[in-house]
Amino acid sequence: MTTTPSFLEVKDVRKAYGAIKAVDGVSFSVGPGEIVGVIGPNGSGKTTLFNSILGQIKPTSGGVEFCGEDITGMSPLELARRGVGRTFQTLQVFTHLSVRDNLIAAAQEFKSTMPARLFAAPDAGLGHHADEMIEMFRLKHVAHLKAGTLSYGQQKLIDIAMAFMPAPRLVLLDEPCAGVNPSLVDQLRELLCELNRTQGGSFVVIEHNMDFIMKLCPHVICMVEGKVLAEGPPAEVQANRHVLEAYLGN
Amino acid sequence: MVDLIQLIVSGTATGAIYALAALGFTLLWQASGTINFAQGEFVMLPAFTMLICTTRGVPLWLAFLVACVVSAILLGIGFKRIVVDPLIRHGVIPLVIATLGLSIGLKQLVKASYAAEAQPFPSVFPAGQFPLFGTHVSYSDVGTLLIAGLIVISLQLFLKRTVTGRAMQACAQNMDAAKVLGINVKTMVLYVFIINAVLAAVASLLISPTYLAKFDMGDSIGQKAFFAAIIGGFNQTSGALLGGVLIGVLENLIGFYVSPAYKEGVALVLFMVVILFRPEGLLGKAEERKV
Repeated sequence: MTTTPSFLEVKDVRKAYGAIKAVDGVSFSVGPGEIVGVIGPNGSGKTTLFNSILGQIKPTSGGVEFCGEDITGMSPLELARRGVGRTFQTLQVFTHLSVRDNLIAAAQEFKSTMPARLFAAPDAGLGHHADEMIEMFRLKHVAHLKAGTLSYGQQKLIDIAMAFMPAPRLVLLDEPCAGVNPSLVDQLRELLCELNRTQGGSFVVIEHNMDFIMKLCPHVICMVEGKVLAEGPPAEVQANRHVLEAYLGN
Repeated sequence: MVDLIQLIVSGTATGAIYALAALGFTLLWQASGTINFAQGEFVMLPAFTMLICTTRGVPLWLAFLVACVVSAILLGIGFKRIVVDPLIRHGVIPLVIATLGLSIGLKQLVKASYAAEAQPFPSVFPAGQFPLFGTHVSYSDVGTLLIAGLIVISLQLFLKRTVTGRAMQACAQNMDAAKVLGINVKTMVLYVFIINAVLAAVASLLISPTYLAKFDMGDSIGQKAFFAAIIGGFNQTSGALLGGVLIGVLENLIGFYVSPAYKEGVALVLFMVVILFRPEGLLGKAEERKV
């Protein structure tokens, strides 16, 4: 496992729905600035694990620590205030807001207190940062269009840009490449590498695109039937006989 | 021609008041999925709050401020905490039934504790008319139009040009994403309930001099506001404005040129036509639902 000091510590997390164990005793840790990939066949419990870490669902047992603080069961709002962001499998943009307003909305709540925001400037002092992100994600030509009018791939970029707008310390990305045109996948990987370098946050990435995850993540965890089947450097996990069996069958 | 101008001005003024109440319908629906069938009574109750104050010698402007505060607390915060919060998790139907019950309860409460008869209500505007384009329009109509228009425009600017307004829009469009992005959804929804209550108090101040303060005055206003919201588009605040003004103007024109007997049916007919041919409303957008 990682040798850097623990940043996110997932300890024996379990989530059961009746007799079905969606997540069955998963433990791992993520260091500062580290990018960890989570792979596994459909139904292996990856998204349930994410939801358990991020307070979307309450784990049956086990715990999650972030920077030494127990965050198990905390609401998404409380986690967001601690610098934890996420993206979902499905698009989560504000379709009736412009691209620029989507980005500003993603970070404005971290700028000041609620009463102060009532009288804040319309861009909440985030206009310049939003423009930088728009430039970085190559969305300048559509910055003033409503997000709902754009293509799926462009909305996916907005979705990811929104997660990084508040410069979170930890981001959990759930299938960032899903539904994205293959020509955009490399661009997306380069963007994530650049954000990791410039913002310095840690990422945990669920993804089915093996090429994407093998190039992006120095550490990979493979989940099968709610359990960690293998973990380590990507080449090692990819060559693991059990992982191959899980993906390809016996 | 002279009659037509008068009818349009006064119809637009009445329609602007419907729009204020209709705006409440659309805001509550967008922010929390709440349909409030006691909206008419939310307009009626501030009228009696103001009456109680004015009969004790309090000036109308101060009585209006008192009504706004009382409405914000009782019909904004109280309504959300006591009625909506416990019921919304069970779906829309229990909430619809609860607000219908609340409507009956509020009417009977005012009828039993204040009066069953219509009460005269002071107007904020001076009596009389002034000349405009060769005809005469009342100060009341123009004043109502100006105040209602100013409030609707201010609300639109607040929603579109302020940080808090953007957060409210974000909550209305995607609550899950808003939560993950650190937006305090509960507070934003509470703001919407308070805004709805204050809008209803303004509508009450403007319409009560014409309708007179009566325990069942909310029946007609609530119904027309509901129709206005659907005609304009339940998911568009600008639709509420259009729906309200359309109903107000057409009511006046039909009442004058056809027969006053048909006036009350205008909103219903317009509502049925829109539901049949454009169910998302004139300015509304069709919503996709996952099944």
